Order: sequence, then structure tokens, then C-alpha cells
Amino acid sequence: MAQLVCRYRKGEQVKWISHLDLKRTLERALRRADMPLALTQGHNPHPKISYGPPLPLGATGDAELLTVHLAQPVNPSEFRERVNEKLPRGIELTEAWTLPTYKKKETFGEIDVAEYRVRVTGDVEPEDLQRRARELLDRAELTVHRGGRRPERVVNLRPHIISLSLARSEREEVELHMRLRTGSHGGARPQEIVALLGLEGDRRIVYYHRTGLYAGAETPTPHSRGVWHRWSRSRSHKERG
Amino acid sequence: MQDLDFDVLLSRVTKPARYTDGEWNALHKDAARVRARFALISPDTYEVGMSHLGLHILYHVLNSHPDYLAERAFAPWPDMEQQLRSRGLPLMSLESRTPLRDFDALGITLPYELTYTNILNILDLAGVPISPADRGPDDPLIIGGGPGAVNPEPMAEFFDAILVGEGEEAILEIADAVAAGDREETLARLGEIEGLYVPSHYEGRFEGPGPRGGVAPRSGAPTAIKRRFVSDLDAAPFPTNQIVPFLDAVHSRVTLEIMRGCTRGCRFCQAGATYRPRRERTLDTLLRQAEEAVAATGYDEISLLAFTSVDYSHIDELVASLVARFADRGIGVAMPSLRADAFSVSLADKIQQVRKTGLTFAPEAGTQRLREVIHKQLREDDLFAAAEAAFSAGWTRLKLFFMIGPPTETDDDVAAIADLVRRLVAFARGSLGPRRGRFQLSVSIASFVPKPHTPFQWTPQASTEALEHKLHLLHQEIRGRAIKLSWTDSGVSALEAAVSRGDRRVGRAIEAAWSMGAKFDSWGEHFDFERWRRAFAQVDLDLCDYANAALEFTEALPWDHISCGIEKSALRREAERAFTRQEA
Repeated sequence: MAQLVCRYRKGEQVKWISHLDLKRTLERALRRADMPLALTQGHNPHPKISYGPPLPLGATGDAELLTVHLAQPVNPSEFRERVNEKLPRGIELTEAWTLPTYKKKETFGEIDVAEYRVRVTGDVEPEDLQRRARELLDRAELTVHRGGRRPERVVNLRPHIISLSLARSEREEVELHMRLRTGSHGGARPQEIVALLGLEGDRRIVYYHRTGLYAGAETPTPHSRGVWHRWSRSRSHKERG
Repeated sequence: MQDLDFDVLLSRVTKPARYTDGEWNALHKDAARVRARFALISPDTYEVGMSHLGLHILYHVLNSHPDYLAERAFAPWPDMEQQLRSRGLPLMSLESRTPLRDFDALGITLPYELTYTNILNILDLAGVPISPADRGPDDPLIIGGGPGAVNPEPMAEFFDAILVGEGEEAILEIADAVAAGDREETLARLGEIEGLYVPSHYEGRFEGPGPRGGVAPRSGAPTAIKRRFVSDLDAAPFPTNQIVPFLDAVHSRVTLEIMRGCTRGCRFCQAGATYRPRRERTLDTLLRQAEEAVAATGYDEISLLAFTSVDYSHIDELVASLVARFADRGIGVAMPSLRADAFSVSLADKIQQVRKTGLTFAPEAGTQRLREVIHKQLREDDLFAAAEAAFSAGWTRLKLFFMIGPPTETDDDVAAIADLVRRLVAFARGSLGPRRGRFQLSVSIASFVPKPHTPFQWTPQASTEALEHKLHLLHQEIRGRAIKLSWTDSGVSALEAAVSRGDRRVGRAIEAAWSMGAKFDSWGEHFDFERWRRAFAQVDLDLCDYANAALEFTEALPWDHISCGIEKSALRREAERAFTRQEA
């Protein structure tokens, strides 16, 4: 048994496929590449693959994560090359490393921060936006209603916003950078921040791009300078067990 | 079309991946380097259309030829249609996002009667006039084909040409004619291809209400259109590099066509009558294709496609070889169609070592008498033996298909369905012992639909009231925690019958229904039977005249000019045999 951790990119060409569809696509590519996948036992055997937090539909990302269980060890760079040959355009493994054997598994449960670049084109006023972003950050509470799931929940997003800034502004195009808490202890979605900033609507297009997934965020206050651990090879070797 | 604009549309529709292409094995050819460009269109959603093998075959045949190109398009879901219409955008192909109007030909399949309104909607969204008479030299040729082509009349007035029968050989002849250039010349050349029906070269003769009266050729056109079929299935092109959808299509697996045609001779079955003769692929070919397809697609299941896969001559050997090669890689084998007998179950047991899903049998009728009338070769003993074998092999879930309303059916026959189900449940409880709690039985009820080219083509469908009555009886009689009963809406069955036996006048009703907003009729939430009744009435027709008419053997029928290989006299003899048997 061997486990490989991979960082992959989900690009423009595939941003409209759901996380479930992406999982199926990756599994099929692994089989096309003839990788020795370890299968679950039982009546319905399937490959053992863990995924990092899913991207929202329509978002791209270049720091996405997965772990594959293999029946025999495969050299990580050979793995990456052979699988990339069999992946549809827009999906690409950018890094791969072997999980140390003392680690039982890697399911990315500790990831608690996601970093996004959000590009908005169309009808936007940079100064207006700057002011609204500052207003949001100055507020102690930002309550939103989350529908869909019953019962509807009221969530305070403010503690989940670690940073929010206007990185670039041109005529009819701005870029926002945001670091948001994510994971099982609650979090904010980039679309929720965009809605709070009043950027929804027919007259503009919003592009979401995730640039990083992190673990070990310090107390997330507006002015905190947390210590960030980009999820990486070295991290896999930390903390035995 | 700019990607940027399309993103706006995609962000506002459900399942945007229906419209994005880029799947593994999808092809992108350079339009400037080919002689003819085809858009292959399935008039249903992406997921349904991509599950049809015919689309994959034609896509492969055309794109394998250096002179031709094929891209795909599907019926947009109403939310996408609304986005396109509100922005004044035309329907486009998936691969290159080329407006459909810019292709040389649109190949549209006729999979099922209830998709016909979608075809008109697609033409309209493409900006192509729905009537050939209104099309100009710059419009693409509209060419039909597929299962519905065996009675092309209801859609005849919307198509430039319709291929009757199997397409893998004819498609290259069609492409050559399309590449010829101008519309008139192409139409003339299409008319010379065997199996290709050019509706404008014919006119309908109507002799009373309903499907009475034939079709007469105008000067020079052949009197009969002979169905095309591939004589050597083993040598026929078969794509092992099938497109792998991102979305979960209805069938997400390798489709291995092991056999085409069926000789069991069920008298209600149109496919059995129109896909003859029975042809098989050799074991060697199938094993090679299975290896290639698994390597090229990465699917984890191989489905053995045939009307009755257990009738394949070397089925035992095929299954054993496939399981031996693929089981340890986690790749399963599936058979979509089983015969209800112990042999089939033992086969299913061999192949389902990887995945044990439910088993499906189709007794069709509840009494031996009625099964003999419809020529369903199944005895109750076989069914119980199959169930016994299934339970002892570990299955606890069964599915049964029945049909209500076949000719000569009485309330007693309907009650016998419920009785058979009850006895099977009791048998299962006894046979399963401690596992009885896990027993589940799905009972699926369809209605008999008289279909052209079958021995029952002259027979009336039961009225919707009569069908409702039969369903009501079953609802009262079939109850229980372990049983799940599902059925086809009687209005859907009536429309299917009316269109399947339709003549050219029915095309006007289809157009009227589409104008009133009918589309996606095979999707329950979109089907409105009252609207269809009104549509028929608007063009002075009655749907019941088509669905419920008892036709005379001597009458001319709207599909008489289509020759599917079985003489009308032979169908008549078979029908007479069905009805004399029950008197004997």
C-alpha cells in the first residue's frame, strides 16, 4: 500500500463540472493511466481517493488537493506525468508526493483557510467597492441566511473573513483577494462575500479562483498576522501518526 | 461566440456541464479542411442523448473520415432555452460553439415519439425554418434517422430526408451527397441512396379518419423504401474510444454491442421486427473491443448490449473471459436484458461478482393464455425457477415488467398480474428465510402501444379510461411493504400510440402542440395531455382516431411504403395466429 498526495489545477475548461463529476473524471483518468489503484473491499469496490474541500461550481483553482491509495508504490513524478496524459484539458496534477508510511491516511481535515482571487467585470465602481469592503470589515457581525438546507440557518460570517482587499482596479474590472475560514468548524463562501458587497446581478460577471488551501490559522481577527502553512510536501511529513 | 458571454449563460442554468464539451475523447476537427460538416443532434437532454450508442457510432464514423466533421448538440433544458432566446442567441454545437445553422447538415435522431416536439424546438432555436419549403440555399439539410424512422410520416414534413434503418454504412453515402454542394442537387442524390426517404418526393393519401391511406410517390421516386441494415456486424465500425461524459449520463459505462436483432418474436415488439436479422459479433472481436474500450475510457463497468444478451451464442464463454480479465481490476460486467430462467440467473451470478445489483425479468402478462397471444415465450415455472436461483445466489431485489392493455386482455388477466405478484412475494418470503426482511420487488407497468411493422399494428390501443381502470385494479390488488409499483401515465401511452401510427396530418398536430408550448413531453413534469388533445383538435384531428382505431388488414397504412423486411402478409398471418390460438 502506498499513498500519493497530489496538488491539482481545475481550469476554465472544466469549471462548470461539479465536484462529484470531477471525482468521477479523475477516477477514470487514473484507470486510463493504468495506475494500480487500491480498491475498497465489499460488493461494490471503488478506488480509495480523498479530496480536499470542493470548489464551488463555476470556480477555478490551482491549489486543489487529493490523496490516492495505490496497491503498489509508484514514483510520484512518473505518476503525475502518466495521469496528466490521460486527463481532459483543464485538469492537471501540478505536484505529487508520497505520504510517509507512518501516516495512516490524509483526508485534509485540518484545512481551515481558503484563499481566493475574485475578478469582477462589468458595472463596478472601485471606490464604492473599497468603501463597502471597509464597512464590512468594520462590522462586528455579518449575518446571512443560508437556505437550501432545512431549517434555514442564520450565520455570522464576520469571524470567517480573515482578510478582504481590493487588489487591482481598472475600468470595468476589479480583483478582490480574500482569505476565508473553511472546514468543519464553519466558514464563509466567496459567493456570500460577493453578495454582501452587492456585486451580484445581471450587469457583471464574477470569476472565482482559489489560490490556496491552508491549515493552522491563528485566531482569525481582522488584524491578526496568522502563521500560515500552505498545504505541502513538508506538511505531510510533520506530526507523526 | 465569445467565452466570456457564454459564462454568463452558464452561470444562470442548472447543470451547465451539459453545454460545455471538452470531455475525454471528444474531437475537434478543423472546419476549413473538410468537405461536409455535420451536427449530430439528439432531441433530449445531454445525459439521455449521450447514452445512445447510435450517436457514438455516427460521430466516430464521420470524424474518422478525413473529409467530414461531426459535432454534437442536444435539446437545451428550458432554463438554457430561455437564456438563449432572451439574448437572441442561436443554438450552437458543443465542440466549437458554431451556430447549428452554419453546418451543412443536421442529423437528428428520432429516438421516441415523445421527443418530436423537441425536434421542432431545436430547429426553431437554430433559426432554421421548420418547413423544408421555407428553407433556402444557405440552410443546412435536415436529415433524420433512428428507431422512429420506420414510420417517418408524422415528422415527414419537417425533414429534407430520413434514413430508414441502420446508419453506420449509409452515413458516408449521405455525407458524400451533402458534400456535393447545392441543395437541389444534394436532395436529388440523397433520393438515390438506398434506405433514404425524401418526403417531398411523396404525398400522403388520406382515406378517412385515423391512419388510413398510404403514401404515393411523385414522378420517378421509388415506390418502396428499403430499410438499411449492416450485414456483417463483426466488421461494422464500432467506437471503442467513446466520449466519456463529465456528467453522469444515463449509462456511464462501456457499451459493448454483442448482438443486434432478436428472433424471439414477441408480437408487440417493434424493435424485434425492425432490427432483423439477428447478427452477432465474434468472441475475439468482443474481447478485443472490451480491452480497447476500457483502456480508452476508464469506465469501471462493461455492459453487454443486445435485446436479449443471454441469447448470444457464446454468452457463457464471453462472460467467463470478461470476468477473468477484468474482475480483479474492479471492472464489472452488466447485462441489461435477462431472460427469466435459471440459466440466465446463473450467468448473472457469474458476472455480478463485482457488483450485485437487482435482477429484472419481463413476464409481460399474468396468464399463460395472454402470454401466448402476445407470443411472450415465458412460463410461470421458468419465472419461479429464476426467482429461486436468484434468491439462493444472494439476490434479494427483483424487478418485474408487465404490460396492460394488449389485445384480448380482460379484467381477469389484469387480476392475474396481481395474483402472480402476490404468489411471488409469498414464494420469496419462504425461500429467503431469515433474509426475507430484505426482499424488495419493483413492479413496473407499461401500456400496450400498437406499433407499425408489428403483427399488432392493426390492433386498437385500449382507451385511456380503460387503461386507467386496469391501473386502478392493480393499485387495489398490489400492495405491501416490500412492493414498489410504478406505471406509465395513460395519456403518455395514448400519445405514443397516436404518433407512432400517425400519418402526415399528425405532423400538423405535433406542430400545433409545439406552438402551444409542448416540449420535453417524455419528462413527466412537462407533459400535458389536455394540451395535446387541444392540439389535435386545432388541426381537425382526434388523437383517439389514431390510438384506438381497429384497422382492417386490407386497408392501406401510412407506413406501407417503408419496407422493414417482413411482408405485410406475413404480419397478418402472425396476427391471425395470435387471435385464433385463444379461440382454440
